[in-house]
Amino acid sequence: MTVSPSLDSDEFAKQPVRTRRRWDPVVKITHWSIVTAILANALVTEEGSGTHIWVGYALAAILALRLLWGSIGPPEARFSAFPLSPGRALGHLRDIRAGKKEVHRSHNPLGALMVYAIWSMLGVIIASGIAMAGPPSTTFLDRAERSDEVTQKVLAERRDHDADEATEGAGGEESEWEEVHETAVNLLYVLIALHIAGVVFETRRSGREILLAMLPGRA
Amino acid sequence: MQQRRRALERRAVATTFLVILQALATIFFIADVAGDIGDDGWSIHLLVETGATVALIAGVVFGALQLRWLILRARLDETGVATARGAMADLIRQRFLDWQLTGAEADVALFALKGFDAAEIARLRGAASGTIRAQLARIYAKADVHSQVGLMALMVEDLVDGVAIKPAEAKPLA
Repeated sequence: MTVSPSLDSDEFAKQPVRTRRRWDPVVKITHWSIVTAILANALVTEEGSGTHIWVGYALAAILALRLLWGSIGPPEARFSAFPLSPGRALGHLRDIRAGKKEVHRSHNPLGALMVYAIWSMLGVIIASGIAMAGPPSTTFLDRAERSDEVTQKVLAERRDHDADEATEGAGGEESEWEEVHETAVNLLYVLIALHIAGVVFETRRSGREILLAMLPGRA
Repeated sequence: MQQRRRALERRAVATTFLVILQALATIFFIADVAGDIGDDGWSIHLLVETGATVALIAGVVFGALQLRWLILRARLDETGVATARGAMADLIRQRFLDWQLTGAEADVALFALKGFDAAEIARLRGAASGTIRAQLARIYAKADVHSQVGLMALMVEDLVDGVAIKPAEAKPLA
């Protein structure tokens, strides 16, 4: 068998160095941390429990870090790389219909809409959650019964809330927040489903690049 | 260079985890301080705690800025390596054309430039080592050098700017 060493220069000449879409570690890790936090609070933690509240606060910290990164991060992670622009999103839709494949170094214009939608929904969820739970008590970390206390309080409020609904009584301020929290969470699930559908669609249309870009190991 | 880029990337990932931990610690302190102020009002103790929280926030921002520097630095290295590789390949191809190497000679010469000796090249190409030695001799003759080191030196010579590499303190005074 004859082996020829390759010079690789054709490859480099044809392709400018950074056309591949790749996310930096901050974008990747914050993305997957937010996924983990949402899954944890949706499936594992008890609603209104101390853990649920603290996972929510952790989510707030990670979201805040991503927003900070949006103003100081590398070019493709910045807000300026994916402006909130319905016009560009419509243009992107026309591109899809025309079968035109454009390379986007950041989120594509439709993806950008999704990003801002998810972020603002998370913001509403966090704000309403804090409005309900207040500053989280750190004492429950020392005394286990305290977290039960919080849970009891929330459960009691839920009973009140249900009673209110039954009697058409004036809902308390907290139950209104609860309403906001639950509606926003359900909307978030819809957005997440749309987001995953969008990724599947883009993967079929333009290849696995979009999927691989968010996985570890290609920083 | 590539190794250094990987090291930089690894450091960027580790720093990211650190900054995230810092952010989590910060939110814990913010929540704690806010809760305490809500419960008991202001006190000197809380003032100090607030100061510590502000310092934590500053730490997160500084960590993020440091992180951006690391990431951009790693990318710069990557671009540098790619550019150098492209330039090196162009140079080698041009030289091989100048020397009018045959296709087989060009392959052997490239292996020689990568540091393989005649026996290794013979094994890689599935040829007799006598054939390779003869081809190497023809390559050296065409390039007007006497050894593999001479061949390598010809390639490196044009790429190395001695003045740029000399360390600052080695420069002659005035």
